[in-house]
Amino acid sequence: MTAPLGAAPGGVHGGVHGGVQDGGPAAGPAAGGPERTGAGRGLLRYALAKLGGALLSVAMVVVATFFLFRLIPGDPTVAYTRDVPVSPEQLALLRRQMGLDRPLPEQFLDFVARALRGDLGTSYEYRRPVAELIAERLGPTLLLVGTGLAVAVTLGLWQGTRAAWNHGGRLDRFSTGVSLTLWSVPTFWLGLLLLMVFAAGVGPIPGFFPTRGMEDVDAPDGPLYALHVAHHLVLPCLTLVAVVYAQYLVVMRSSLLEEIGQDYVTTARAKGLRDAQVRRRHAVPNALLPTVTLVFLHIGLVVQGAVTTETVYSWPGLGLLFYEAIKGPDFAVMQGTFMVLCVAVIVMNTLADVLYHVLDPRVRSA
Amino acid sequence: MTRLGARLAALGLALAMAALPAAQAQAAREPEAGRRIVRLGATQAIDSMNPFLAVRVVSTQIHRWMYGYLTVPDSKTLRPAPDLAESWETSDDGLTWTFKIRDTRWSDGTPLTARDAAWTLNKIMTDDAAKTANGPAVENFESVAAADDRTLVIRTKKPQASMLELPVPILPRHVWEKVGDIGAHEAEQYPAVASGPYIAVEHVKNAYVKLKANPSYWRGAPAVDELHVVFYENPEAANVGLRKGDIDWIGRMDGAQFEALAGDPAIVRWNTSGRRAVYLQLNPGAATAGGEPIGDGHPALKDVRVRRAIHHAIDKKTLAEQVQNGLAVPADGSIVPPMYKEFFWRAEGDAAVSYDPAEANRILDEAGYRKGADGVRTMPDGKRRLEMRFSIHTDAPAEDKLAQFLTGWLKEIGIALTTRRLDSNKFTEETGSTALYDIAISGWSVNPDPEEVFATHLCSRRPTASGEGGGTESFYCDEEFEKLYQEQLSELDRAERVEIVKRMQEKLYTDAPVIALYYPNNLEAYRKDRIASITPIPEDRGILYGGSSYWPVYTLRAAAAPAGAGSGGMSTAAVAGIAAGAAVLLGAGGFLLARRRRATADERE
Repeated sequence: MTAPLGAAPGGVHGGVHGGVQDGGPAAGPAAGGPERTGAGRGLLRYALAKLGGALLSVAMVVVATFFLFRLIPGDPTVAYTRDVPVSPEQLALLRRQMGLDRPLPEQFLDFVARALRGDLGTSYEYRRPVAELIAERLGPTLLLVGTGLAVAVTLGLWQGTRAAWNHGGRLDRFSTGVSLTLWSVPTFWLGLLLLMVFAAGVGPIPGFFPTRGMEDVDAPDGPLYALHVAHHLVLPCLTLVAVVYAQYLVVMRSSLLEEIGQDYVTTARAKGLRDAQVRRRHAVPNALLPTVTLVFLHIGLVVQGAVTTETVYSWPGLGLLFYEAIKGPDFAVMQGTFMVLCVAVIVMNTLADVLYHVLDPRVRSA
Repeated sequence: MTRLGARLAALGLALAMAALPAAQAQAAREPEAGRRIVRLGATQAIDSMNPFLAVRVVSTQIHRWMYGYLTVPDSKTLRPAPDLAESWETSDDGLTWTFKIRDTRWSDGTPLTARDAAWTLNKIMTDDAAKTANGPAVENFESVAAADDRTLVIRTKKPQASMLELPVPILPRHVWEKVGDIGAHEAEQYPAVASGPYIAVEHVKNAYVKLKANPSYWRGAPAVDELHVVFYENPEAANVGLRKGDIDWIGRMDGAQFEALAGDPAIVRWNTSGRRAVYLQLNPGAATAGGEPIGDGHPALKDVRVRRAIHHAIDKKTLAEQVQNGLAVPADGSIVPPMYKEFFWRAEGDAAVSYDPAEANRILDEAGYRKGADGVRTMPDGKRRLEMRFSIHTDAPAEDKLAQFLTGWLKEIGIALTTRRLDSNKFTEETGSTALYDIAISGWSVNPDPEEVFATHLCSRRPTASGEGGGTESFYCDEEFEKLYQEQLSELDRAERVEIVKRMQEKLYTDAPVIALYYPNNLEAYRKDRIASITPIPEDRGILYGGSSYWPVYTLRAAAAPAGAGSGGMSTAAVAGIAAGAAVLLGAGGFLLARRRRATADERE
């Protein structure tokens, strides 16, 4: 779900710089041209170029998805009918229903035409359109992973700032140590541990939280329903945050450390600004940039759901859907979730690239 | 100052967030006074509430509780007994079945008639989409018609002894004939119109199904008012739920999940004989349905003597104890587990193949498979060594363990075994249609009528010439077995048929295209304080969840303890929780404020 921690900062820089170079032809004239064409037009051209690139990527994803899922060894109809009594006639019928009896090029064209219309095929297990299944799971996933991401980013950036500012101090060692320890903990294990302690209750700790899902039978209506769901959200969200916030902390910390040594920070201090002001007004805004890409990348990955967390807590999101599709195997669902995930990442990356252009003047003049 | 205010506000909000769910948890779960509820945890989500489409155990179980079938297995003997069909008779040629349909009503008050049954079966016969779940069940039907409201007549193409175990729920025609496209119909209208002991009244996808007792059920309403089927993806989480009292009962557990509940005085662990047989497939020289050889099975396995020698080399008792942790019965028969007392065949006397490596070695020596210097045998013509592959699934620790035992035992008799781990898709293909295996692990869950499990060893089940699988479990093709199968199909005398079915098991046992290893137990657990009694099917040490009957849920009695007991305990816990949460948050807030002051002081230069 996440990049290896060590690779994260490097990956972020690489991504940003690569993005800028990709945009070269578009950004070039704007930067080299007459001053009065202005950043606005440059941005537009830059954004259009990025958009073109993104569309190309999406097209490639569609093609790759089709062939990738045809490469999986084995006849899907055989996999579907495992342990179920079927006659050869029934298998033939199934093959016809799934369009597997037609030649590959025809299947491909059909697939592309459907994908353009937003039709991601029909799930074998659920006998329902994949797009519908994904839409159904999107809400719970956005709620869980969105909340988790927001909390993790806030916590990570805040702690990262503190850690860098008190570089080498007790707070730095403590918060970095705790976050890295939690990062190394397997999500599955942590989830079950939290479940056993805070859902079932151990010794003096009462079993305060529910053991599964987003809602129970006889859930209340109206505003109380929101609280009911919030109550269910606490443990999965906590699990998710604990395991991922370290990456924001570490990126923020290293990025801020880089800034602390800069001349402008010294200048700001020399002006007599209070320490907190130097940090808030000068150092942090500059240090925030690398985290923008990281955050946007992860927003794209939100639709992937949190497979492990959703599995432990039976949270009815996309991660659970994907997990079940693999267990099935339900190829249409795997294919659909995979494609939606790819497209979301591409969209968010493009947005990050454009946003970077707006946020950082250095990118524009590069 | 403003920042301080914001922090205080955030702290207040956090406190409110922590406290309110507790308050609502208390309010929401308080059931109406006297409602007797039993909550079943299922580690499987509903695939469809449409009985024409649903194939998962959890969905078909719920449909068994909601809808009547023509017949159900008797709770004591598992023999077919009346359900919606009160009685039935067969024509002399065995091709025409006449069922007398019970005079009862659907839960919406509409009379239930033979026309409902005729419509349901005809729908499956004529609509491709409706064949999804139960297509094979009606394949042999010539015609189905209602002679009048109480008489259903089914004509078959060939005699069909398993007619009295049709796995087809009878649906209300007046509701279902309005459905246009069966394949796209989700059947999510509640309350559902049903004829069984329970009616589904609510379904939140991927969360739960709520069923209520059917007051107009023809046997009388069940003693439990509500039955909730609650979805847990994770077995450990389901265990936590059971211990805590969020659910009252878990069916179909795996060994690890079952053992994790040991020693809990509040929980009854249900460990009985199960529906499943686990066996080895030995490639007997695979061929297509047309007889063309396919695959790359080891030629020695075509020799029935080699297969028997392998059978002698396996210590099934050790496998049941070590691989299944004792939660299985060593197989002393074939593919029908002993749970089905009537059909089960036990190998006795001379027929029994005991664990006897010396005997195995003797058989192989005699057959001319000579041992080489390294202890591995070669074919009698000296060309090929007895080096074989054992195909198992990836990520299946139990199968890995089994492979270790098997490799050791076969080494003793001069066969070198290497383990091949395949993902399930590839595994199914290699062991079911392309025959790229020597020995493979497999298993089958058997229904009260074992016809289907025998059909998986028929010549016609082998793949077609174009390599399309037909569902063979062994690539077995034996003239005598085929003859016996056809005989039992048309043998309408129960005792005679049981005899034939036993002869088929004996044939499989001695020919050994499959070698049964053990019968895994049926493992379940429920809370004593919530379930006072429940009758398994069959009544003598049978299964609770997953059987072909509504009997266990119909006989369910909730314990006298008030349904609110769990919630009552919860409210005390909730108060403690609020107190603890508030203390932690206050502490954290105080710490932050103190730090804030100190930091501000430091920063003022």
